[in-house]
Order: sequence, then C-alpha cells, then structure tokens
Amino acid sequence: MKRKKSRFLTYAVLALFALYMVLPVLSTILYALSTKWSNTILPRDLTLSWFAELFSDASFISAVARSLALTLTTVAVVLIVMVPSVFLTYMYFPRIDRFMSGLVLMPYAIPGVILATGLLKMYAGTALPMYMVLVGGLFISALPFMYQGVRNSLESIQTRQLMEASELLGAGKIRTFMKIIVPNIKLGLLVTTLLIFSVFFGEFVLTNLMLGGRFETIRIYMLRRMNENGHLASAVMLIYFLLLMMISLYITYITSRKKVKKKPADVQTWLGTANQNKEGAVNELHHNQ
Amino acid sequence: MKPGKEGRPVKRKKSYKNGMLLIPFFLLAAMFLIVPLAMMIGSSFTSETDGNFTWNNYIEVLMNPFYTQAFKNSVLISVLSSIAGLAAAVVVSYFMTNLPEKIQEKITVFINLSANFAGVPLAFGFIILLGNSGVFRILFQSLHMPVLDHFNLYSWQGLVLAYLYFQIPLGILFIYPSLRKIRKEWKESAYLLGASDLKYWRLVGLPNIMPSIAGTFVILFANSMGTYETAYALTGSNFNLITVRIAALISGDIYARPIIGSTLAVLFAAVMIAILALSQIMLKRIRRDLV
Repeated sequence: MKRKKSRFLTYAVLALFALYMVLPVLSTILYALSTKWSNTILPRDLTLSWFAELFSDASFISAVARSLALTLTTVAVVLIVMVPSVFLTYMYFPRIDRFMSGLVLMPYAIPGVILATGLLKMYAGTALPMYMVLVGGLFISALPFMYQGVRNSLESIQTRQLMEASELLGAGKIRTFMKIIVPNIKLGLLVTTLLIFSVFFGEFVLTNLMLGGRFETIRIYMLRRMNENGHLASAVMLIYFLLLMMISLYITYITSRKKVKKKPADVQTWLGTANQNKEGAVNELHHNQ
Repeated sequence: MKPGKEGRPVKRKKSYKNGMLLIPFFLLAAMFLIVPLAMMIGSSFTSETDGNFTWNNYIEVLMNPFYTQAFKNSVLISVLSSIAGLAAAVVVSYFMTNLPEKIQEKITVFINLSANFAGVPLAFGFIILLGNSGVFRILFQSLHMPVLDHFNLYSWQGLVLAYLYFQIPLGILFIYPSLRKIRKEWKESAYLLGASDLKYWRLVGLPNIMPSIAGTFVILFANSMGTYETAYALTGSNFNLITVRIAALISGDIYARPIIGSTLAVLFAAVMIAILALSQIMLKRIRRDLV
C-alpha cells in the first residue's frame, strides 16, 4: 500500500517537472508551425510557410554564416593554442600548471558582462578590429572547459607513461605527441570541441555587447525577429534547437560508448565537477547568460 | 630527472624550447583577460571629466538609488530563484532515485538537452505561454479562473519563473549524484538499528548531502547573478538588474557612460568573488564539522 502511494507520488512529481520543462519548447514548436495564433488556446491551423520564408531570407542565411564563421575560427584558435599548452604544462611545468588551473577558472567568477566591459574599455576605438577582440573574448570564456577537457583526456590515457615508453623506444617528443598522444585523446577532444562549438554557436552576451547589430549572429537575429514576427522567430529557434540537440545527443552517445565514468559531484571540487559533467553543466553555465 | 653532468644543459635547453610554446596561451590570456580587467579597474578610479585619480565614481554609484536598486534586484531574483530552484532540484532528484537505473539515465540526458533552450528561446517560450495574450491567460480566462490576474511575466515574478528553467536542471546536475551516493544500505542499517524515517534523515541523510546543498546554492546564486540574456530578452532594459545596467552603460548609444559601467562591473566582480571565496571557506568548515 505504502509502496503504491510512493510510486504514484514519484510519477506525479516527475510528470509535473517534465511538463514545466517541455511546455516552453512545445509552445515554440506550435508557434513555428501555425499561421496565426492569438486569442485561442490552440493554433487554428498548421503550416510550414514560416520555414519557407526563413530560408528565402538572405539575412537569416548570412546570420547562420556569421555564426558558423565566428564559431569555427574560435574553435580553431582554442584547439591550436590549448591542446599543446595544457599538454606541456601537464607534462613538464607542474608549477605553471597550478597557476594555469587557477587562471582558467576566472571566467567562472566573472560573468560575460564584466569581461565585455573590460574588453570594450581596452579595445574600443583601437586599430584591432572588434571581431578579433570577440574571438579573444570567446577564447577566454572557453578556457575552463577546454583546460579541464584536455586534462581529463590526458589523465585518462596515462600520458606520462606513454611518453616515457615512446621516448625509450627512440621517438622524439613532438613525434610522440602527434602520433601517440593526439590519436589517443581524439575522442575526448571531439567531445570538448563539440561542446565549445555549441557554446560558441549560441553565444549572445559578448557578441551583442561588443558588436551588436553590426554583426548579426543567429542569436541576435533571433532576438530581432522575436520583436518583429514571433512565428518566424520560433522557426529559427526550432531549427537552432534541433541542431544543438543533435550535437548534445551525439556527445552523449560518444561519452556513453567510451564508457567514461563520471565522478560523482563532490562539492569541494564543484568547479572541477562542472567540467566533468561535461555535456550539461557547462552548457548550462554558459547558455543561460 | 637526476641532474647529471651531461643531462643538465640539454634539459634546460629543452624546457626553454617547450616554454616558448606556452607563449601564445599567456599572450592571449593577458590580452583578453588580465589587461582588460586591470584597465577596467583602473578606469573605475578615473575621473570622467579630467582623467585624474578619483573615488567619485564609487561615491556616485553607491549614492545613486538607481544603481543600488540594480544590485538589490539582482540579489533578490538570485536568492529567490536559487532557493526555489534548489528545493525543486532536491525534490526531483529524490524522486528520480526511486526509478529504475535505465530510466534515470534517460532523464539525465533529457535534462541536459534543456540547456540548449536558454536565453532568447526560453524568454519567447514563456511569452507564448504566459505573456499578455499567452496561452494560459486565455485558457484561464475562458474558464473564468482568475489564477494569473496578479502574475506579470515582465516583472520579477516572470524572471524568477524563467530563471528556474535553467536553475532546476543545473541544481539537479549537482544534487542528483550526491543523493545517489546515499546508499540504500545505510537507510536499511539505520532502520535495523531502530531509527525512524525522520531520525535517519536528520542524522545520516541530511548531514551527508548538506555540503552538496550548500555548494549548489552558491553555484545557482552565482549563475543567476550573472544572467543577462534571458533577462534582456524578456524585459529589454526595463527591469533594473545589475547585468542589464552595466550592459546599458557600456554599449548604449545615448546613455553610454563606460567609466560608471566599469565601476559597477568592478563592484559586481568583487561581490561575485567574495561569494565564491566565502563559500569555499564555509564548505571547508562544514566538511571539518562533519568529520
């Protein structure tokens, strides 16, 4: 009797929570699929015309292109700079590593608005184009995930032993790094890359404050459309959400196939934990800003 | 490595070469993090009129009710959304642990997906549901139920409700693993030794998850203090939050006052760092008391 009651309560509470989580998404989907939806509880008809209109809108296409260009540039910079740096400090500079692990946490304590204030203070009106400054700012905001992501990967493959073994066999450091270490942490790097890809692709705060209407990314396009035509805006959101959902599911798929054991959240190291629970926490910390 | 006669110079040369490869990282960190923040702090002590050193910006900010209100509003919304978010996270996590393992995993994936629906889309989703001609408003009107008559989505109420959409999942992310750590066996042992449900939670359950709860509260609080996009998308610049205020001061076309913006940003950063530092000290103490 008691068990039955508690099972009912379990499902009731979880259903309520699911409803709260699903309703905003569901309403956006319906809004994107209806010609007109006002003053009725449900939309009167369904249509795909907003999607057709969206794809014939040049400013939508260029917003996607801008977001992609910005994201890919920044991901490339982050990977090229961070992978060797984290590897080197991990292997050869334990002191610098301690300093670095503190430094990369700074973006957690400093919200995007504050970083944007500093960057604008320093670079507004200078010769350095704001687009480059934005890439720099995004690089900073990706530091915590990238550092932790690369480090976890390095630790999980016992990099030190691999390097020693390879050097004993006569391979140089660079060769070992390229031929042994990188291929071994490829999956871990892929997960981290996909993660920062989705963070950058949905970036709003820095982009809007530093470039705003002058550089309309997908997120800024969304906001502009939201105030003009809700149906069109919903269509954008839906496409965007589907894309990022696929990336998230793919990350989950890779991580579960790799059977990466997630360490349980320990509060004393919660900053590190946020990175270990990669798929979610990190997205959270960044997306909602 | 042992310092051998031949080994030494080689090692030093190598580590020098390796060290050179770290330059890009430190250069970027200096260019886009350290120096900008230092310049921001510097500018907060600079007079708007003659460029000399001054405390006046801080005096102006602290005496201006508009700016202090921005801080108060941010703290209010963060406290409310963190407490409510934490409570909901604990409840949902607790009931999640009652389910079979496989379903628990699926729910975690589902919760993670919601992270992609924050900011502008989130604000719009809530506008469709609860805005001035939102679905629920029409629904309750047609049922003649005055449920939403005192609810305003574009006020602190709406902001808290929207913030909860990311606060609850974030809370679950930290609470759920620590709740899972509380073993069923502990509960059984406690019952065998004659403890009641209440006594078990008071003496075993709660002390074990207390550090998680305290830590999660700080994360949620810091997270909502820093939130800008959701608030901006929902209320424009109408609701006076610290992030919205700073943004308007640094990038607004008409009202831009970058120096005052820097001053507010420095104070805001100080608050954030103080909260995080305090939480670390408190957590250490909680841990010590527990042991």
